[in-house]
This record gives sequence, structure tokens and C-alpha cells, in this order.
Amino acid sequence: SAPMVRMNTLVYATCFADAASSSELSLAYVKLIEQLAVFKGYSAAFCALKLAEEKFPSSTNSQIHLLKMQLLHERALHRGHLRIAQQICDEFGVLSSSVSGVDIELKTEASLRRARTLLAAKQFSQAAAVANSLFTTCYKYNMQVENASVLLLLAEIHRKSDNAVLGLPYALASQSFCKSFNLDLLEASATLTLAELWLALGSNHAKRALSLVYQSLPMILGHGGLELRARSQIVLAKCHLTDPEFSVSEDPCAVLDPLNQAAEDLQVLEYHEMAAEVYYLKAMTYNHLGKEYEREEAAARFKEHVTALENPRDEEDSLVY
Amino acid sequence: LSLFPPVRPPKKTSPKKPPTKQQAAMAEEQMEEASSSAAASGTPFQLQFDKPIPFQIKLAEWNPEKDLLAMVTDDSKVLLHRFNWQRLWTISPGKCITSICWSPDGKIVALGTEDGFVLLHDVENGKMLRSIKSHDVAIICLNWAEDEPLSRTDKEDLLSYEDRTTRFFPPAPVMPRIGGLNSGDTGLADENEEAIQAFSSASCQRFNILCTGDKDGCICFSIFGIFPIGKININKVPIHVQSSGKRTSYRLQDVSISKVSLSRNLHQLVLLCSGKLINTDNLSLSNDLSVGVHCLHLDTSIFSNRKNELHQVSQQASSIQDLVEVVRASISMMSKQWSNAMNLFHEKFSALPSLLTAHGMESSSEDEFMSLLFGTHTSPALHQFLVSSLGEAGLKRIAKTIESAGRELRIVVSEHLQPAVEIISFRLAELRGLARWRSRFQNIGLDEKLMDGVTERVGMLVVQVERFSRVAATVLYLFQNFLSWVLKCVKILLSEPTDQVPSTNSELVVIFLKFLLDKDPIKQLLETDQIFEWDIDTAKHVEHLVVFGGFTDTKFLERSLAKQFSELEESLKEAFLMPFTTVSSQIHCQGLLPLYPVTSSDALSSTSTPASIAFYKQDKDSQHNASSYSSTDYICFKIPDGSLNLRNFVAVIKDFCNSCSTSNTPSLSGFLLHIPVEYECVDLSLYKDNQVVLLLSGKSSSENAGRSWMVMLQTENLSFSQFSRTFPANYYNLQELEALELQLDTDYGKVRSVPHPLSTPLAVSASRGVACIFSSRRHALVYILDEDEDEDEDEGSEME
Repeated sequence: SAPMVRMNTLVYATCFADAASSSELSLAYVKLIEQLAVFKGYSAAFCALKLAEEKFPSSTNSQIHLLKMQLLHERALHRGHLRIAQQICDEFGVLSSSVSGVDIELKTEASLRRARTLLAAKQFSQAAAVANSLFTTCYKYNMQVENASVLLLLAEIHRKSDNAVLGLPYALASQSFCKSFNLDLLEASATLTLAELWLALGSNHAKRALSLVYQSLPMILGHGGLELRARSQIVLAKCHLTDPEFSVSEDPCAVLDPLNQAAEDLQVLEYHEMAAEVYYLKAMTYNHLGKEYEREEAAARFKEHVTALENPRDEEDSLVY
Repeated sequence: LSLFPPVRPPKKTSPKKPPTKQQAAMAEEQMEEASSSAAASGTPFQLQFDKPIPFQIKLAEWNPEKDLLAMVTDDSKVLLHRFNWQRLWTISPGKCITSICWSPDGKIVALGTEDGFVLLHDVENGKMLRSIKSHDVAIICLNWAEDEPLSRTDKEDLLSYEDRTTRFFPPAPVMPRIGGLNSGDTGLADENEEAIQAFSSASCQRFNILCTGDKDGCICFSIFGIFPIGKININKVPIHVQSSGKRTSYRLQDVSISKVSLSRNLHQLVLLCSGKLINTDNLSLSNDLSVGVHCLHLDTSIFSNRKNELHQVSQQASSIQDLVEVVRASISMMSKQWSNAMNLFHEKFSALPSLLTAHGMESSSEDEFMSLLFGTHTSPALHQFLVSSLGEAGLKRIAKTIESAGRELRIVVSEHLQPAVEIISFRLAELRGLARWRSRFQNIGLDEKLMDGVTERVGMLVVQVERFSRVAATVLYLFQNFLSWVLKCVKILLSEPTDQVPSTNSELVVIFLKFLLDKDPIKQLLETDQIFEWDIDTAKHVEHLVVFGGFTDTKFLERSLAKQFSELEESLKEAFLMPFTTVSSQIHCQGLLPLYPVTSSDALSSTSTPASIAFYKQDKDSQHNASSYSSTDYICFKIPDGSLNLRNFVAVIKDFCNSCSTSNTPSLSGFLLHIPVEYECVDLSLYKDNQVVLLLSGKSSSENAGRSWMVMLQTENLSFSQFSRTFPANYYNLQELEALELQLDTDYGKVRSVPHPLSTPLAVSASRGVACIFSSRRHALVYILDEDEDEDEDEGSEME
């Protein structure tokens, strides 16, 4: 339960501020900043991060440093600054000790992020290779949460490379993994991926995808971050749009409401790729409805995001905050 | 409920172990008569037994699942009997009970009282589970309808929602018991708590709604009988009637509801009420005739269309409300415990200042203790206080009391308060997730902003609880330290050995004297109207945390725990009021049918006129496929003598709802039944498979006095004639209906004579096929209404 994480951390930060050791307190702050990044967007998170760095000035404070790099990487990915993302990935790799079997968590995170960067760069085979090797490592060291998320990542890679059928078993495996370990949010996102995969298989699976989305929605909306929420809204709209029995002109709200909500969330997140998708869908919907003014507006926003994605102008900007 | 295995009515056996010889003889006589008459004329209903009961029964209702009969006596005792007339329990709630009904699963009996309470009692032991005040005046009728699993289609099954709380949390905490140490009846209390727990978890299995109608025309709906979801006032509902292309709006005044019934698919509600019908377009068109009994059809499709959402929300919300009660009880109990301990402490230590003034000294008690601590001198006043008025024994007593109070506080916080608050916050987070799903949950009024506010408040409460436990621990330690220091001093003054006394920290004694001798932070935290001043550091820290996503209300630490809790309650109330009002506003009146006029003098008695409403599934539904079945409503009522210039008539109407909503479905039809002159209808009830059971009692003037009849009519055998439901003002369409003569020897249905004058009520059970009737000579008679299949065959073969 995400709101409970925040609440309990706040309890700690408020009540035990005078008694706790600095490393524990900094951990509490790190958790809070993570929450901020996921739920309120990067600008708020970086603002808080600055304050936290002032509060714990010791440069050796690895937790805060790590957090900073994670946030920078996420933001670079979302903005489409792939070179920066790659650079941060390499830094991650350097951080961990070179002895095998040590710093496993850091290493898995590094390679997970590498795979995601590769995925964003559309180098699917390499991404899949990294993910596969990562899966074997995780399996070897019994890291169940990572196992599930790597499987999900693999499913995602196959989906993006238009191999929906290959992706299905991975998504299903991830889902059953999550079920047995009570990882509800991850399960919900696995279900969402499953829905996306079904949707990719053709419009006659739209009903099934829709019911899958409905299944995962309460969980995602309650506890998921901005990105996940926006994704689920997009999938919901897509399900409606691909369903041959659904007609936009009859019930435009069923499509436009989720899309608007997704656009709002993505604005905060600065996620160009998905925002572009949202505006594309919006423009299409308005086109169907015959609302030209709105269509033009959505199309313009779509163009904006696409150009931002394709010409990462201010790459240096990504490292400052 | 393994206690009550379903009992099939035994075939033609006399009741086991009759209490007295006389009764046994009587019962045998009855049986003989029954069998002989059955042999002679094929008497249809078999008499199971005939038992005297020492009460006048006012209301009776069979359990829908088990062979249990709940009865309410004239002096408002509730009795529960098994089918073999073994009494299970008797309770007297101490209030006048005006209505009764069972929950659909038969585990709870709901009682409506004269002062507007709904009481829910456990079937196992008769313990009260809840008491909910939803009305201001007497509740006349109750109806508890459950959603049918049949109406659920495959698509909705995928939307099934899991309550995750049980997976992540241990069972919810229960209310702390008051006076935990010395209560002798702990066993009982435990059982009760368990029952409540079981109740809240078990009742959430399937969606059901309890409707209650009161004397002033209000109808309340509550999910699971506990979570209020809607309330409408019939006096304020506009009624639009389409008559000959023209739309006329009406309104009812001085409504008193006499019967409500919600269909099994929760789609429609039919109610009978008496009141004055007013044409709002043309007020002059009302006269005496417009006062009468009317039949209304309300569209409650919101319940069936949104049942998944309502189910989820009410499931979470009702358990949140339970937990809020737990928190409230915990806080009040802690404050009681602590103030008891503090009273003792202050009582003892207040002797010191008066002693000081008696000795003519101007110093305060704090100064005196300080000087004692730093060894300057011991004033005679303090010496006297410590040695004689306080003494070692008194000191030890205080120490013991405070220690035990502290232990209680710790237990309450750790076992009740904290888990309760935690589970509340988890459930609220789930609810917030649902609230974010706007397209589904906004139309049942779950508001995202309000839920956010509540989540924020509960977060602050969690912090407050944590702070409270910290403060309590500190204060307790300081008290302990101080008291053992004082004990040491006393021993020194008495020149006794001090090696038994634990060592003390004099620094902490100073802190105690400075901050605790006159103040009481625990009490402050438990009272609502206290304001705390926190040092600048903490305030800054809290403001700082806002940047990190902390609570935006930075002043929350100034509030006390109790204040924070009451704020949480307020916002919860506000948040849950939204669904309540939203749902209420979506219940509309669909149709109206004036049944019969009543003169204002007997308007009061009209509520007791026998009537029955039931919904039956339509068997042959050619137009729709099997999944979307529809149901037919049957309304059966007695027309009071003199009304509509009819005497001794009973009316049966069907398809009222369907005629309101659509035009192509079978239209409104019905018939009137004329009861032979020498009898009067005492009570009536609809029974399964479209049958009507009538109780006729001989009029006292005729020669048939003392003889009665129970009649079961197959309505399909009777000719329904259609009649129009459009009406001009003050016109009662019932007059158009054909009147049939009921003859007791015809083959309309089954007839059986009863050798007693009968009185209300008549209780029939469709699931068990039995009827219980009550004679005015305080006898209860149970009849089997339909024989088993094999018995029917037997009889058939006998006839052959």
C-alpha cells in the first residue's frame, strides 16, 4: 500500500527525528523522495533532494547518491535523452564491487537499468540478451521480486518488438510469480502488460483485454505511480477504440476521460513518448467526433512531444537539477 | 450455524414429547381429526401441531434458510422457535417493536422499533449485533433483499474484487473491554465480540440491501443492513403520470408507508402507503377522496447497475466505521484509566500545599521538593507530609496504581488503538484507489478529493498515536522515577535501610518536578480542546517535511489526539455522505396506482390492513434471453369495508412495475375476490408459485363464529382482467375490475377449516412450505402447505 509507506515514513520522520541515527533518517528521506518522484513528478523530487543533500552533507552518503542517480536515469529515459541514460548506467556499473557475488543488488539494478535503456533505444535483441542473463542471475540468487520484474521487462521487450505472442508467456509467468509472493502492485502491472499484449494480437481480443484492465485498475489507481496510472488509462482508451462493437460517437467520455487524465499525469512526469501517444489517440478520437478545433490542438501537442523526443536539445540540462 | 440443521417436516407424526398430558391429548385429537378429515374429504393441509402459547403474538416471520420462526409478542418480547416448537431464545429489547424481518441468509433477524431504531440480532444466541438509528418515527416495515447470483453475468465476474486487508493484516482489533481486570463476565463479552467479528466478515459475502419504511413516509436503504446508502422521503418525491399524452405531476402528502418490497434483482421497489394525493399542477382538484392507499413503484436500478461498486465501497466503509468505533472506545477508556490514576495521585499530593500554608511558609511544593533533592534542608511541613500524611504505604499504593494504569494504556495502544488506526489507513487507501476510478465510482458518489482529505487526516492520526505512545512512555517513566525517589526520601527520613529501593536519576526528578507535578500531558492529549505549543525546532522540522511530501497542514501537532480523531470522524462522515446523497438522488418514482380511498378517520388503522407484495420470476420470457430475466410483481391486499363501496373484498394485482416501465410487456391486470359474507379476511400472504394464502375467520355475529378457514388459491386458475393504469384525478381503477365470488367448496384452490377463531399474523415460509397461524385463544398452529412430491404421488395412486 503506497499511501501507507508514505504515512509510516512520515511517522518516523516526524516522531523520531530527534532520536534516530542519521543513516536511518536519511533512509526515511530517501523513501519520501522516491514517493515524490513516483507520485508528484521529478521537479518536486529534485527540489526535495536538494534539501536532503543539505541536511546530510556527508558526500559519502551512498543512499542519497544512489537515489540521485536513479532519479536522473528515470528522467533521462522519459525525456528521451538516451546518451545521458547510458552514461548513468555505466556509472551504476562502476559503483558496485568487481568481485562476483558481492553487491548483487546494485549489480542487478545496474543491468536492469541497462536493459531498459537499450529497450528505449529500440535495440531489442541486446535488451533481451541483457534481461535474459539478468534473469539467470536473479534466479541463482533467489531474488523473487527482481525475478518477477525481469520477466515483466522481457514481456515488455517482446511487446515493443511486435512479438506479442512471445511476450505472453513471460507476462503470465510474471503474473503467477507475483501472485505467489503477494506482490499485488507488480501483479497488477503484469496484468496490464498482459492486456496490452492481447490488444496487440488484434481487435477481437479487445473484450478480454478490457476485462483484464478492469481487474488491475483498482490496484493501479490506488497504489501505482503516475507512469503506471497513465499507462493503464491509455490501455483502457485503446481497448475501447479497438473494440469493433464500441462506437466513439455514442460514448466519447469513455475514451476521452481516461486520455485526459493520462495527459495530466504525463505532463507532470515529462514522459514524452507516452504523452505523444496520448495526444495521438486524442486527435484520432476528436477526428471521429468531428471536432476539428480540438483535433488540431491535440495534434499540435502530439507534434510538440514527438519533436522533443527526437531532438533532445538540452541534454546537459538532464544532469542538473 | 451448524446448531440448526435443516429439519424436514416429519411426515404425519405427532410432535415429540408434548409437555403435558392435556396438551398431548389435545394434539392427538387434532391429529386424529386431521387424518380422519384428510381421509374423508382430502383435506389439503396437514396439521403439524397445535401448541398453546402464553403470549399474544403480534408479528411472526419464518427464517428463509432454516426451520426457525421468530415471533414478536404484544409486549415486545422476541421469541425464536424451531420447527418442533423448541424454544431457542427469548429476548426483550425494552422497546416497542413494530416490524421484523430476516436477513436473506437467515443469520440475522432485524427488528424495527417504534422510535426509529433498527436492531440486528444474531440468530445463534439472540445477542444484539448492531443498533442503528435511521428513522425518527416508528418503522412500519422492513424488507431485506439479496442480489440473486443468477443475474450476474460472466463479464461482471471478472470484476470481482478482493478485499486485500485480510491478507496483510491480522484480524481487526476489537473494542477494549472496560474495566479489563475485574470483569467477571469476560466470557460473554468475548463471545459477543467474536459474533460481531463474524458478523462483519460473513455478512459481506453477498450483496444485499435492507429497506426500512417508516410512519412518516421515509424509506432508508442500507447495504448489509449496516451501511446506510440512501434515504428518500415519499412526501417530497414528485410523481409524474403520463395520462392520454399529457404529463401530470402529483405529490403525496402525509404519507405513511405500510409495506415495501424490493425485487430480487434489486431493480424495482414496490411500496404501499397511505396518504393524500395532490395534483401539483392544479391544487384545487383534491378532495376527501384523494386520501387513500396508493401503490408506488420506485426505480432502484442504481442498486442493480452499480452493485459491484456499491458492494466494494460499503464493504470497506462499513469496516472502517467499525474500526472508528474501536478507536473511540480505546480513547475514552484510556482517558478513564488515566484520570482514575491521576485523581489518586493529586488527592494524595494536594495535602502538601495546605500543609505548607498551615506552617506559614510561602514556598510552593515544587520548591520544597527541589530543596529536598539538593539536600539543603527539609522543611517541617514536607517532613510531616512525607512521613505521616503520605507514608510509605500510601506512596506504594500510588506507585502501584500509576503503574497499572500505565500498563493498561500500553496494552490499549498496542492491541487496539494502533492496529485499528493502521487498518483504517490501509482500507482508506484502497477506497482512495477506487475513488480515482472516476468513470465507475463517481456516479455512486465516491469523491476523490474527499477521500484524499480523509487519507491525509488518518495519516496525521497515525503520527498522533505514535506521539501519544511516546509521551505516555516518557511520562510513566518519569512518574516511576519520581515516586521511587520519594520513597527513598521517606525511608531516609524514617532512618530505615534504603537498599531495597531502586536507584533513581535525580536529573529526571528535576524534569518531573518542573514539567509534570502540576501538568498532565497524557490527559491533555486525550482531551479535545487542548492546544499544544511545540518548540520551534519541531515546527520547523514539520514544515521542512512538507517539501518531502509531508502533511501540508503543518499545525497538526498542536492538536491533541482526541481532537485529531474527531476531525477524522468529521471528514469520514462528509466523505460517506456523498455516496448517500448521490444514490438517494438517483432513486425515482416510476409509477403510481391509487388502490382505494380511506376516510381520514380510519386512515390510522389502514396501516394494519393485511397486504402482501411479492416478486416472482417470469417463467416464459420469450422476448429476452435467459440471462436477463425479469420478474413479475404481485400485490395482494384486503380492501377495508366500505371503501370503494365494497365489502369483504380482497384484490390481487400483478405486473404493476412492468406496466410502468415499458409499454410492450404485459400490462396491469388483477381481480377482486368477494369473500363469503359470514367470514372476514384476517390476514393474507402471497406464497410461492403465484399462490395466495388467505385466512378467513367467522364473524362473531354469524353461526360460524369460532370456525375459520385457511384457503390457498392458485392465482393462475383465476381470471386476471386487464385494466388501465392511467387515471383521472380521484379515480380508483380498481372499481373496473371483475369481482369473483369465493366459494369455500369450489376448486379454485385448497381449503381447510380450522376449529379456532383466528387472529393475525399469518406466517408462511416458501422455502419450507409451512404456515404458522395463531388463534385468538393463544394457540399456534403449524400447517404443512404442500406435501412432498412423493406424497403427492402417493395420494394420486390412492385416488386411482
